[in-house]
Amino acid sequence: MPADIVLPRVAATNSRRRAPGDFIFRYLTFLFALLVLVILGGVILALIDGALPALRAFGVSFLYTDVWNPVTEKFGALAPIYGTLVTSAIAMVIGIPVAFGVAMFITEICPIWLKRPLATMIELLAAIPSIIYGIWGLFVFAPFVQQYIQPAIIDSLGQIPGIGALFAGPPLGIGVLTAGFILAIMVLPFISSIMRDVFETVPAMLKESAYGLGATRTEVVLQVVLPYTRIGVVGGVMLGLGRALGETMAVTFVIGNAHRISASILQPGTTISATLANEFTEAVGDLYLSSLIALGLILFVITFIVLAFAKLLLLELQKRAGG
Amino acid sequence: MAIYARRRLINALVMVLAMAATGFGLLWLVLVLWTLLWNGIAAITPALFSEMTPPPGSAGGLLNAIFGSVVMTFIATVIGTPTGILAGTFLAEYSRGSRFGEVVRFINDILLSAPSIIVGLFVYELMVVRMGHFSAWAGAVALAIIVVPVVVRTTEDMLNLVPNALREAASALGSPKWKVIVMVSYRAAIQGMVTGIMLAVARIAGETAPLLFTALNNQFWSTNLNAPMANLPVVIFQFAMSPYADWQVLAWGGALLITITVLFLNIGARALASWGTFKK
Amino acid sequence: MSPATARQVMSLAPSDSPERRPDPPVRQKVLIRDVEFFYDAFKALKNITMPLHDKRVTAFIGPSGCGKSTLLRVLNRIYELYPGQRATGEVIVDGENILSPGVDLNLLRARIGMVFQKPTPFPMSIYDNIAFGIRLYERLAHHELDDRVESALRRAALWGEVKDKLRQSGLGLSGGQQQRLCIARAIAVQPEILLLDEPASALDPLSTQRIEELIAELKADYCIAIVTHNMQQAARSSDYTAFMYLGELIEFDETERIFTRPKQKHTEDYITGRFG
Repeated sequence: MPADIVLPRVAATNSRRRAPGDFIFRYLTFLFALLVLVILGGVILALIDGALPALRAFGVSFLYTDVWNPVTEKFGALAPIYGTLVTSAIAMVIGIPVAFGVAMFITEICPIWLKRPLATMIELLAAIPSIIYGIWGLFVFAPFVQQYIQPAIIDSLGQIPGIGALFAGPPLGIGVLTAGFILAIMVLPFISSIMRDVFETVPAMLKESAYGLGATRTEVVLQVVLPYTRIGVVGGVMLGLGRALGETMAVTFVIGNAHRISASILQPGTTISATLANEFTEAVGDLYLSSLIALGLILFVITFIVLAFAKLLLLELQKRAGG
Repeated sequence: MAIYARRRLINALVMVLAMAATGFGLLWLVLVLWTLLWNGIAAITPALFSEMTPPPGSAGGLLNAIFGSVVMTFIATVIGTPTGILAGTFLAEYSRGSRFGEVVRFINDILLSAPSIIVGLFVYELMVVRMGHFSAWAGAVALAIIVVPVVVRTTEDMLNLVPNALREAASALGSPKWKVIVMVSYRAAIQGMVTGIMLAVARIAGETAPLLFTALNNQFWSTNLNAPMANLPVVIFQFAMSPYADWQVLAWGGALLITITVLFLNIGARALASWGTFKK
Repeated sequence: MSPATARQVMSLAPSDSPERRPDPPVRQKVLIRDVEFFYDAFKALKNITMPLHDKRVTAFIGPSGCGKSTLLRVLNRIYELYPGQRATGEVIVDGENILSPGVDLNLLRARIGMVFQKPTPFPMSIYDNIAFGIRLYERLAHHELDDRVESALRRAALWGEVKDKLRQSGLGLSGGQQQRLCIARAIAVQPEILLLDEPASALDPLSTQRIEELIAELKADYCIAIVTHNMQQAARSSDYTAFMYLGELIEFDETERIFTRPKQKHTEDYITGRFG
């Protein structure tokens, strides 16, 4: 044994099992992990607590009444809920195919040297803060839409009997469709990014077998890649939907903030988050405030369900991929 | 042969559509950034950084708003980062397959995408109502709650990438577990973790909704954390929605500032992330 | 490998080189007694009983999956990092059963060092890598620490190559150097026993040779257990050999006897390359 021995030896081997440092650190990290759950619990509790007066006053009818009168203190969430759902639906209708096209292009079509920079640029769309989209929408996009796009829509689609009502009304620029369109641009990077990740998990051999049979690229993507990644794609879409539902600032700027439900998507409306953003700090009266918080609770419940569903789907995909 | 021709046509069509979709996405990116630059550059003057937010109709700057945003972002990062790192450490190092860990991970990912306005409402109920007034503290806490899930996720992901052999080697020397984590795992994962923090900061730099009902806004210069504090996003909101031209110009200027910061952090984070892969 | 070839290989072993000093008298350092190991419900080690002798090298050989690495990892209880893995039986080191529940694992591992199959330098400077283990247990003055680091690097035959770049990252070294760094790191804490899990399997032949030479030198001061799938290496470098198969200890004896006159047919089959 080398001469320079200083370590404690045999006698110490049977001392206390775990150093205090280990115990403290483990407990510390556990506490902070628990904090995540506490935050969620806190959010739910705080929202319910604040919403209770309104829920007690209006009951379930709060969900389907279309009224919003701070003076008479009659509130019903139908208009904001409707606006939230419709703008998100428009965002999905536009965003999903575009996101799919982008994902397909980046994973299957574009040259290798372009992949990284292109993907980064699309992801920058997600990095731009919501308020930037908001003021851009208000000052640049909405006027443009008002001058060129909406008149065109009204003159074409608006003339078709039946669905024409969807596209009726004076061209205001702002409105449900505009808000939905901007939402589409905002959520497309999220959906596209997940689709891309999920497309990349398809084993090369599987695709090569299809190509080897003479399939075109489109056929490989639509008939091999998409079915294989179906669950992940749906998960990505749900994630995008969850984001769209909760988007606030961009929507607030361009939706027009009108507490009403119009048949036409070219008309102004409101969403839950836009209502909150606009009215919360001005709200006077406990019932008014409580109704707003109740709106927040409804939004939270809807997005929670959608996001939980998305997460479950993505976990399922992970399990199947063996990841 | 007719079938083949049709297949080729469809393929060509879809390729074009995919390219168009990508072009579509890029188009809006370019448009937004371009108009932002176009409209905002006019506001970038020294006065922007030296004057306070003015009443309508007079000239001014955004100094108090910039200050407020920097202060609240800083506090939020200081609160949220250690919280997120410790929670992420628990998930990566202590919760192997445990139910509790799965639940925390699940909830964390939901919080990650939850509407930020709800966070604002929560902190309103938690702090503003209790304290009786709006405050920068409340704003910072709301932003911190947004930082936490981002840092938890990146910390956990990065720690999971650290090979087990490294941990075993440290344990085999007789190192207690916490030292293995702090002195070996963290060091191995440091790059990814810093990237995660940068992305979290980029995220909160532009958040408006959580500040709407917590820090509110302040026309004047204030360093009082216990009172409403000016911040860029809410100022932009107020000024942009107003009918006053000079306010709108300031709004564009503020928007440009935020966007430059956010893009800088984002691209910087990506550069940091890939710098390591070349180093190894 | 036929017994004749084995004798040939043995004759090339360091035991015949003139400079080698005579081995110190044999003393049993570790007694592994009735050890069984479980991965959840699967029994990976069945009733292992064998000694490890001080200042000698004991090799564990056998085909893949025979449990030799598992057995090695029982000796410093590194398996305890993973839930679902457990060991029963006794491992008696200097009269003490280290598998008993009261044992402080960290102190145990300071006495029993381990080097792994793939080099695992920590993401820090070469100096800090070596100092890591020392700092866990001792508070040394700056120059004392420097001396310890240098002494460990010298014993691992690495000092000459790194003495001018101690502050550089350990990751910048070659594979063979990194593994010697890991060996230096392990001996820096002055263990009594060294566990080597296929230390040269990830290295090129030249580095492998240097590692083997190193082990021959280190033998003078430590009780060494080495897992290897390379039979020639076992024949060359070890004093005792344990042949394992499917979790059982088939035969344990002096290396010379195992390779020239194995008692079990199974052992002979493995050594002559009939399987594995």
